[in-house]
Amino acid sequence: MSEDSIRELVAGSLERIRAARTLEELEAARVEVLGRKGALAIAGKEMGKLPPDARAAFGKLLNGAKQTLEQSYEARKRSLDEGALSRRLDGEWLDLTLPAPGPRRGHLHPITRIQRELEELFRSLGFAVLDGPEVETEYYNFDALNIPATHPARDMQDTFWLEGGNLLRTHTSPVQVRGMERLGPPLRMIAPGRVFRNESVDASHEHTFYQLEGMMIDRDVSVAHLLYFMKTLLAAIFHREVTVRLRPGYFPFVEPGFELDIQCLICGGPGCPVCKQSGWVELLPCGLVNPNVLRMSGIDPGEWNGFAFGLGLTRLAMMRYGIDDIRHLQGGDLRFLEQF
Amino acid sequence: MKFSYNWIRELVADLDCAPAPLERLITMKTAECEGIEPAGALLAGAVIAHVETAEPAAGHNVTAIVNLGPLGRKTVVCGAPNCRPGLTTVWAPVGRKIIDGVESDGMLASGAELGINKDHSGIIEIEGAPGDPVPGCAPDSIIEIDNKSLTHRPDLWGHVGMAREVAAILGHKLVDPVKPDLLPRTASRVRIAIEDLDLCPRYSALEFDNVKVQPSPVWLQYRLSALGLNPISNIVDMTNLLMAELPQPTHAFDADKLSGDTIFIRPAHPGERFRGLNDEDYTLDASNLVIADASGAIALAGVIGGASTAISDKTTRVVLESANFQAASVRKTSSAVKLRTDASIRFEKAQDPANTVRALARAVELLREISPGIRIVGGVADQMKEMPAPPPIELRLEWLRRKLGRALEPAEVRRILERLEFGVAESKPGVFLVSVPSWRATKDVSMADDLVEEVGRMIGYDSIAPVAPLVAAAVPPANPERKFQHEVRDVLVDLGFTEVYNYSFVSEEAVRAFGFAPEAHLRVSNPIASDQALMRASLLPGLWHNIQENAKHRELFRIFEIGLEIHKREQGLPEEVPHLAAALFARQGDGAAGLDEIRHAAECLMPGAQAQPAAAAPCEHPARAADLFWKGERVGRVFELHPSLIETGRAAVLDLDLDRVRALAGAAELRYTPIRRYPSSAFDLSVIAGLRDPAGELQSKVRSFAGPLVESVEFLRQYSGPPLEAGQKSVSFRLTAGSPERTLSNDETTAIRARIIEGMRALGYDLRV
Repeated sequence: MSEDSIRELVAGSLERIRAARTLEELEAARVEVLGRKGALAIAGKEMGKLPPDARAAFGKLLNGAKQTLEQSYEARKRSLDEGALSRRLDGEWLDLTLPAPGPRRGHLHPITRIQRELEELFRSLGFAVLDGPEVETEYYNFDALNIPATHPARDMQDTFWLEGGNLLRTHTSPVQVRGMERLGPPLRMIAPGRVFRNESVDASHEHTFYQLEGMMIDRDVSVAHLLYFMKTLLAAIFHREVTVRLRPGYFPFVEPGFELDIQCLICGGPGCPVCKQSGWVELLPCGLVNPNVLRMSGIDPGEWNGFAFGLGLTRLAMMRYGIDDIRHLQGGDLRFLEQF
Repeated sequence: MKFSYNWIRELVADLDCAPAPLERLITMKTAECEGIEPAGALLAGAVIAHVETAEPAAGHNVTAIVNLGPLGRKTVVCGAPNCRPGLTTVWAPVGRKIIDGVESDGMLASGAELGINKDHSGIIEIEGAPGDPVPGCAPDSIIEIDNKSLTHRPDLWGHVGMAREVAAILGHKLVDPVKPDLLPRTASRVRIAIEDLDLCPRYSALEFDNVKVQPSPVWLQYRLSALGLNPISNIVDMTNLLMAELPQPTHAFDADKLSGDTIFIRPAHPGERFRGLNDEDYTLDASNLVIADASGAIALAGVIGGASTAISDKTTRVVLESANFQAASVRKTSSAVKLRTDASIRFEKAQDPANTVRALARAVELLREISPGIRIVGGVADQMKEMPAPPPIELRLEWLRRKLGRALEPAEVRRILERLEFGVAESKPGVFLVSVPSWRATKDVSMADDLVEEVGRMIGYDSIAPVAPLVAAAVPPANPERKFQHEVRDVLVDLGFTEVYNYSFVSEEAVRAFGFAPEAHLRVSNPIASDQALMRASLLPGLWHNIQENAKHRELFRIFEIGLEIHKREQGLPEEVPHLAAALFARQGDGAAGLDEIRHAAECLMPGAQAQPAAAAPCEHPARAADLFWKGERVGRVFELHPSLIETGRAAVLDLDLDRVRALAGAAELRYTPIRRYPSSAFDLSVIAGLRDPAGELQSKVRSFAGPLVESVEFLRQYSGPPLEAGQKSVSFRLTAGSPERTLSNDETTAIRARIIEGMRALGYDLRV
């Protein structure tokens, strides 16, 4: 084979490789030229017949031709492979705009949401989250909180009594007592939970609702500390600075007792329908723990004191989400619950 | 409790604070005000008028010419039937308007229109000179205070108490309306016999004769009406005035109707009958304290007077009772007879015994005005318990500073306490000995902490700057129960379930529908409604209600609740068990898919939980109910709600005891085991069994023969149909065997397989191998 015919073979084969439209055509071209019995192999065998001084040049020519063709083959093969893959994948088209199958995520009850938020907040401040029974004894619900049977403060809370003399707790305050008995001082605790009052139900009254009781007992707890703590807490709850004020309020388990008001978050003070034009919204009762309550729970009031507060979780949830009818909360209606 | 601004103004010298700012001050320093209502608005500019002529006009009206003295004459069209020449009444300047073609200037007003009393039968008939203002009647502002915020303050149930607060807040002087010198110092004709001085610490009485029972003067009627009380007659109105003023409840007996000359204060005899002023009959027992004469009970102490000795138009002699009763005793009797009166509400707050005689002195002054010619008979009868003044309270000013968190000048503390009429003596530097006035000493103020409130509210809590507390850093104790419940909530919400809250009350009907016995439930003694009388011992009735309601507008939904089951116990508190109840409702389908999904939820909560078929309860589909076991313990139940309970679709239900599940979930601590280095080998086995043989049981049986080298037995599939006989199915399992130490030989796996086959065959099962 002459050098020219080699060059011709290369040119022709390159053309064939480039023109191959399928992997089969390409493979046929490769076998014919680059295969073990292909044209280049045959030419290689003929090299022995050449005079020794011409062999080196011819060999170089053959190697060059082989490399060129192999590169061309590889390039074409890659291109054909890619085409095949992309055609296959294209055939696998899916409509990803269709809704994903399977149930949608469910919804937590709005009170659970608020309660969890507060539990996390208080835990971050070092408060234990405690639970107590919903059915309570008269002692824990009243007597241990400085409300003996003959005390008119019992009328402040309409009570559900149970056969056998126990009652449904009218507030989460009994958990204060249980917490003091169980953990002793110093103590930081909250007790969120369900409470009951014997009231008829309407859009703003429920016989079943949720409270969060809080208490801190330490060596020297003052009204100034209570104020600081409430401001910090309420800023975290409302996600903004709040202005608070304390005014006298009577609760037998605290002395002094306060009603805590916050400056109306709607109007900021000048007065609006939400705050009944007063600029303030009554938010929670609180106070310094009455020494009698500490004493009854086995804590020496000469050594320890503290503050306590009660937050209406139901009311807070209604404020947060703008719920205008309290009955929705225990109504079980998914059209309401799925909004949370 | 309603307070008249005008009245407070009479009791506070130089009061210069308008009603609205006064209301705010009271709210910030004393008790919560609920609002201000105007009273007697029509009295503004109203004057006494003399009707000179009254000519008939259209309809029932008359055209009257009235003489207003210095204000001249006015022509008024009036519709009142009693408008007649010669009448003295009240004219109010409400402007001019044309009535029946006549220009009418102002109006003649009835007692009801003026706010003086409830009489709207005609225009008011009073005495006085034309053009004079209506005596003692001016437009007023009624400040309403939340009763709850007065629970601890017996003194604030009357105007004097509130006036004392206002005087202290503003630094003015209180004008005490009581003139003790008016009481005679002679011996009393009335005898008093108190049986138990603890129940009745003081009983005072004074007798009057030449009494004339008649309507009260308008100022007294107006004062009571403005507070929402009905004027009745001068004597009764006077007792109501004393109650609203001092606030001492008193009672007037018709002395001619009393038997004997002794008033007994004693426990009622068992079964003793008593008819109250309200014409109700009461049967009493020894826990009720009564006032009695020789013939029997004449009043229920501190609650209500009796009908037999009530005053009437004919009364000419009166015994006026002014007593002090033990708060607890009055409260007990009042709730036992279910009668709360203005008197009992005051007594149960523990009234000041010093007030009984003060009220009698005030009564003397009032009666002389409102029942002219009245005479006192004898002196004051007064029996009382020895009541030594309570020891003064030691108030350390440094301690007070630490409690309030604010520095205080000793002089400021002293001034505040003295304005509130506490006695202050400095026993040593920085220590005050504080004596409590009698009206604050009954229940309200007894320890230094009570004085913190007195000082705090008067300096104003807004004068205290917030300070961050210094407390030891500590990790709070965990609450694993609550944490676990939150985790369960998250799993269910992720699986598409929405949380519901249901009441803790259930009806007997719902309980019966679920096959539970109502008597096994704890019962509410005073339920809000008869269908909410039982405490739930299961969350299922509530969930059933949710399913029924939501099924009205949803085809498919998933709900759950976490709540407490309340189980009655013989003694002590009931058992409260946290449960999870979840349900999936589908209007379409045969219910199988729902059960799959709810079992999947159980599996997500408790990996490896097993269902074991169990007899169905009445609320359960008879062929679709199982107990759930986890780690060998029964933890709950999975079932389809009985189709007769929900006819529009199928509801799959899961009910778990979360205490048990939590105990099992937390039992084992997680430990890493090395990944096996030697390959395992797997083989399949198919067991031929009856169609209703539970696959779970077959699996346990296979497992029981597998031995320690079998790592897992997994369900693969089941099949029924040819070539199997009817009533049969084939259940296939994949078994994986291996060892952490070596690769098992073929012989070993074959032996395991043979052992299982042999074991199952011995139990009567055929195997496809």
